[in-house]
Amino acid sequence: MATHRDMRFSLIALAAVFCILVANVLSVDRNNFRTCDQTSFCRRCRGVQPGASPYQLNLDSLQTTASSVSAEILNSVLNVKFVFHLYSLADNTFRMKINELSPLKPRHEVNFVLNGEPNYVRLEVLEKTSEKAVVKSGENKVEIFANPFRVDVYRGTELLISTNARGLMRFEHLRPKPAPKPETPEGEEQAAVAPTDDTESDPGAWEENYKSHHDSKPNGPSAVAMDFTFPGAEQAYGVPLHADFFALRNTKGIDPYRLFNLDVFEYELENGMSLYGAIPVLYAHGLKESAGVFWLNTAETWIDIAKPDGENVVSSIVNLVSGSGQEPQVDAHFMSESGIVDVFFFLGPKPLDVFRQYSALTGSAPLPPLFSLGYHQCRWNYNDEDDVRNVALGFDEHDIPMDVMWLDIEHTDGKKYFTWDPVKFAHPTDMINNLTAMGRKLVTIVDPHIKRDGGYFLHQDAEANGYYVKNKDGNDYEGWCWPGSVSYLDLFNPVVREYYASRYLLSNYVGSTLDLHIWNDMNEPSVFNGPEVTMLKDNIHYGGWEHRDVHNQYGFMQHMSTYEGMVKRSQGTLRPFILTRSFFAGSQRYSAMWTGDNLADWGHMRMSVPMCLTMAVSGYSFCGADVGGFFKYPDAELFARWYQLGAFLPFFRAHSIIESKRREPWLYNPDTTAVVRQAIRRRYNYLSLWYTLFYEHSRYSTPVILPLYALYPKDKDVYAIDNEFLVGDALLVHPVVTSQASEVQVVFPGENERWYETETFELFRGRSTVSVPVDMNKIPVYQRGGTIVSRLERVRRSTALMHNDPYTLVVALDDKGFAKGTLYIDDGETFKYKSNEYLYIQFEFSNKSLKAKFIDKKAHFPSKAWIERVVILGLNKKLSSDPIVKSKSVGEQSLKFSSDDSYNVVVVRKPGVSVTEEWTLSFSF
Amino acid sequence: MSMKAMAGCWRPAKFLENMMHLLVIQCLFLILVVQLYPASSAPEITRPRGVSISKASMYDPEKDFKCFDGSRTLPFSLVNDDYCDCPDASDEPGTSACPSGIFHCTNAGHFPLNIPSSRVNDGICDCCDGTDEYASSAGCENTCLEQGRSARAAALRRAELSKQGNELRLQLIRQGKQQKADKKIRLEQLQRDREEAARIKQEKESLKSTAEELEKAALEKYRQAAEEERAKQSSSAQEEQEAFEQFQRLDSDHDGFIRISDLQTRQTFDKDKNGEVSEEEALYFIEHDELDWSTFYAEAWPKMKPYLMMEKGLFTPPSTPPPSIDAPGENAEEFPADNGEEDEEEEEENPENSEATDVPDVEGEATEVTEEPPQYDENTQNLIEEARKARTEYDEADRSLRDVDREIRDIEDGLGKDFGEEEEFVTLQGQCFEFTDREYTYRMCPFDQVTQTPKNGGAGTRLGSWGRWTGNPKYSTMLFENGQGCWNGPQRTATVNLVCGLENQLTSASEPNRCEYLFEFSTPAVCTAESSDGNPHDEL
Repeated sequence: MATHRDMRFSLIALAAVFCILVANVLSVDRNNFRTCDQTSFCRRCRGVQPGASPYQLNLDSLQTTASSVSAEILNSVLNVKFVFHLYSLADNTFRMKINELSPLKPRHEVNFVLNGEPNYVRLEVLEKTSEKAVVKSGENKVEIFANPFRVDVYRGTELLISTNARGLMRFEHLRPKPAPKPETPEGEEQAAVAPTDDTESDPGAWEENYKSHHDSKPNGPSAVAMDFTFPGAEQAYGVPLHADFFALRNTKGIDPYRLFNLDVFEYELENGMSLYGAIPVLYAHGLKESAGVFWLNTAETWIDIAKPDGENVVSSIVNLVSGSGQEPQVDAHFMSESGIVDVFFFLGPKPLDVFRQYSALTGSAPLPPLFSLGYHQCRWNYNDEDDVRNVALGFDEHDIPMDVMWLDIEHTDGKKYFTWDPVKFAHPTDMINNLTAMGRKLVTIVDPHIKRDGGYFLHQDAEANGYYVKNKDGNDYEGWCWPGSVSYLDLFNPVVREYYASRYLLSNYVGSTLDLHIWNDMNEPSVFNGPEVTMLKDNIHYGGWEHRDVHNQYGFMQHMSTYEGMVKRSQGTLRPFILTRSFFAGSQRYSAMWTGDNLADWGHMRMSVPMCLTMAVSGYSFCGADVGGFFKYPDAELFARWYQLGAFLPFFRAHSIIESKRREPWLYNPDTTAVVRQAIRRRYNYLSLWYTLFYEHSRYSTPVILPLYALYPKDKDVYAIDNEFLVGDALLVHPVVTSQASEVQVVFPGENERWYETETFELFRGRSTVSVPVDMNKIPVYQRGGTIVSRLERVRRSTALMHNDPYTLVVALDDKGFAKGTLYIDDGETFKYKSNEYLYIQFEFSNKSLKAKFIDKKAHFPSKAWIERVVILGLNKKLSSDPIVKSKSVGEQSLKFSSDDSYNVVVVRKPGVSVTEEWTLSFSF
Repeated sequence: MSMKAMAGCWRPAKFLENMMHLLVIQCLFLILVVQLYPASSAPEITRPRGVSISKASMYDPEKDFKCFDGSRTLPFSLVNDDYCDCPDASDEPGTSACPSGIFHCTNAGHFPLNIPSSRVNDGICDCCDGTDEYASSAGCENTCLEQGRSARAAALRRAELSKQGNELRLQLIRQGKQQKADKKIRLEQLQRDREEAARIKQEKESLKSTAEELEKAALEKYRQAAEEERAKQSSSAQEEQEAFEQFQRLDSDHDGFIRISDLQTRQTFDKDKNGEVSEEEALYFIEHDELDWSTFYAEAWPKMKPYLMMEKGLFTPPSTPPPSIDAPGENAEEFPADNGEEDEEEEEENPENSEATDVPDVEGEATEVTEEPPQYDENTQNLIEEARKARTEYDEADRSLRDVDREIRDIEDGLGKDFGEEEEFVTLQGQCFEFTDREYTYRMCPFDQVTQTPKNGGAGTRLGSWGRWTGNPKYSTMLFENGQGCWNGPQRTATVNLVCGLENQLTSASEPNRCEYLFEFSTPAVCTAESSDGNPHDEL
């Protein structure tokens, strides 16, 4: 919701102090954000020359445990020692850690991000020579080279990842601050005695200024950097969040991709500038293999990418190994300001495997409450209780389903979170109950900055108990944000987290009910008067860690606490819904995210697809963009197109800035209202598909939406496609992202794959590119042959009201006349599914019959839902008699059906079987 | 048995259906459908669930059912069997099976109601008779009698209000017509007066010019001496310096050129005082896309200077406003002039303020130089005195004419406004109504403007000037537009919805959209005698 322009608005009213920020620009002011060159550690790391690595591994020091090896590494120039660990993990995964052997003070290692201790597996040393050690785990092999230090990771005989192959490793050991150099010739001699590196000559090594901000850097230089080479890879993906295309670009000659969570105003598209969240996972993919690395570091991080650039194949390091000079390859160079080297290698072999291998470490999202997959209506701000009531009523009057109303910061009493405006929102419980009467929910915003107001309980508690983040002098850090003067809870402190979590209890959050859910915004954290609109890096957190060490995890700590509180408030019975703007790897375990404060323009709408695809493959499926665009006002066409797209991204919420005109779906014109109604209804038609996909995500960690290359890894031409995407493995969505489009070029992937248009059922075949005509009414969506998708054709006012509604099964046959799919059903809101209260059904069409079977036989759920209709696509065989359904409840019955002349579309009328039973539908042809 | 005739019977909801659906829903929500057949004359037909009496004859259990659109014929057993067979939803009036079906609730004792069939058995009681939830766990009670009673009571109250209000309205119409007639008479009178005033003015003008010529001749010698003196003092260098300083102030990016945008940030150049400097206004001064110093000094400076001086209070405009400064329909008199912008507006609108016309000043230009007048001989003194008298008399004549003109203009303006079909809004003109909420006092002056003033003092804001009637029906909504611009937003507008009430009263104020204000104003002027709706036709 919030950024500097709003900040500008609000602060000008508050104080002219910040008028420096007033610049009437229409997009991001790049001057407010550092470049690599303006960042001393990035400058140093990027300046490392390849091919001259001073790091040597001492093979004599090699030690082995059941699942790891360790050894010492020496920086032969600086004569500093490090310790190296290599661990073998289940599912084609390795972990490599490098830390100083005896640092001046402990270096930061990341907590909470991994979803428990990784699953280590056996590893054995195959051979050890003077040059290298070779270790093996299952089919995988790692070669550890001594001089220069290099680690080559193989799956089978295929070299997938080579570490420090280019020699860009840099590990800045902690050192005492050098005394000012005396201006004498002896100085040089001393330098010869104690070897130094280029930190000596870097004026930013021990203190750094940016704009009017000073970073005292008491620990001096502490960067870590490593390069990774992926032989054979054509493309690289990942490292969100950036407003850029799905396939990462070559960063030669431009800034590296930056990961440093920031509140960026009107962000620009197609570049690697930092945005609100950071997930340092990177995938590389080529014709033969998929692989990935996860760089576990919460400090500011930059990533350089080199990849095949058209004709220009980079000179391959594989030459050393395979002798082939023409192979493509991707090089990635990770650079972090502090911490240690802690990196995971994922060996695939397929894209879905590497995604799973990453998710195994950081966890996948728990099953969200059903309502959160419906449509969300947000605005900064709904003015008062009447406004909320009337907007909700407007949805009913226009017969548009809607599940959640949202309240932005203005609902509070003076931007004090967990409070309500005493006049405009004087009866919050009544307001919530009015929504829940239609099965709807309310979401309120809770930001991490705390108003420094002596009368505010949260501030009183935090100040009295020392709960705030401290500045370098040990005093409570004060900054500026929405409420004016604020401080920030130190959520790295377990006591603070427990206190914060308990704020969400119904007894503490007065006026809330179990139907109220939470939005954590501004948690980068956003500090209006801080460097780059965030917190000073030399601030101090719990345990004495500098903000520098943990910056990218601040938002994570907030929603982790929120999640804990929200689970507690229902005594662990109800699933919470939380939306966050800032995030780190692992955040998916607690919250949904969105792409922040976008703009109402076609470019931002189009970019929401690659942004959410990148999130999805980075373990974080619950992603969406503000439908309609946050800043500015979309015209009717853009508005309608955005709903059509938004309905097919996992998180579906409209939002708008306070200055923009109101834009509830009926405020344009009747045609637009009709298009938007249809788009939102389509979302609800596929609600059970979304819910099933989220369930399967929680269970198997498969991304809910997928890039084409994930299912078609051998088709080089789809590697960079991000203007269409897949929902599960079933739907292919091609949004319309240009104005006045009369046709779109749809790529139908897969040799001989069948794709059925979801409303006309027209058949398209892969692999082809077809110019498909479009009108305003909808965007092209296709169901893949071989899948069975459930639909809910009775769209109600909200998801809660659709609970007992019957399902239509759309059976899209492949060339072999086969199809299968799943359906997950439970109560939609509690954790009872964890104790087997659910239904997980597999449908399979083969050999002239459609069978429904329970995947988990011991799971049960007393649903009233039933099968209303079965649609068979692509049968193309004349039915010789009526289909026969067989189940416990209906016995054996013949059913009416209808079809077109060529039996392309066969509709079986009313099987009437319950979803709680297994059944068979038999055909004769 | 194959039912190939059913081909295409089911398809996902289509866009067109939805378009139609929208219309239906909107109508349903707005209008409670009143049955055409009173209960007493209704034929005894058992209707399928969800069917209104008017459509009951279409559902004959003895026959096969034909979809209303004629597309298909079904065995009657498929009606309301919870499966959608007709594309037009007509086979499932009583279930939620069809995506755009309509469910009819009889609501005996209250108004019957049509709801989207997606609301059938969804767990929410939509019909007061509870018939929409026949197979859900909602446990709806029949509240129709109770609701019907209070609806009838409310309708009676409404009818009584309308009746009383309508009487007042008829009075307003009479008064309005009378006022308008009076004004027409007055206008005729004024037009006659104007002729006389114009004649007097002409006469005085010629007397004045004769006297002034004599005076001028007599003063010539003194003037020459004085001008020589002044020329010495008023150095053109000083003027140039002032101009140059201004040039630099305006050239915000210091590139040596002034552009339209440079002027647009200066309220000084807002000639029409509408809160923003339009490109046109800026171009009036600079005439080019950009101006260098020399062009500026030669061309733009002379035009700008009066405005800059006016801003500093050094200059009062000449008695005849420049033709370009014209803000028709603006009338700031009702509004407390407590901000600078409004001050300027008043100065413009009241040229009488410029009383300094008795200083003999050839150009009518402002002058900061007040010098001791030289001593004149007696003859000259007399001629000056004569000329002064002639000017005073001329000014009086001129003022009288302008007074008449202004009144004529006011009346014509008034007569030109749309005061409703029967002049029922005439009496509202010239009145103002206030509403005060937590923070602001809003003041709505029909046919004039709407303003907002903070309760704790501070500058007021014009939310809009009278625009037009925009309601449906036309005379139910007033739009005031072109209010003060919002920070980073549009110009403010105010919409006033008129509802029937016995008194003229502003009853609510809100800002549903940023800078778009919404008011409710109750007035008898919109009370029409409703057709008696106190007795809803029940289906019993």
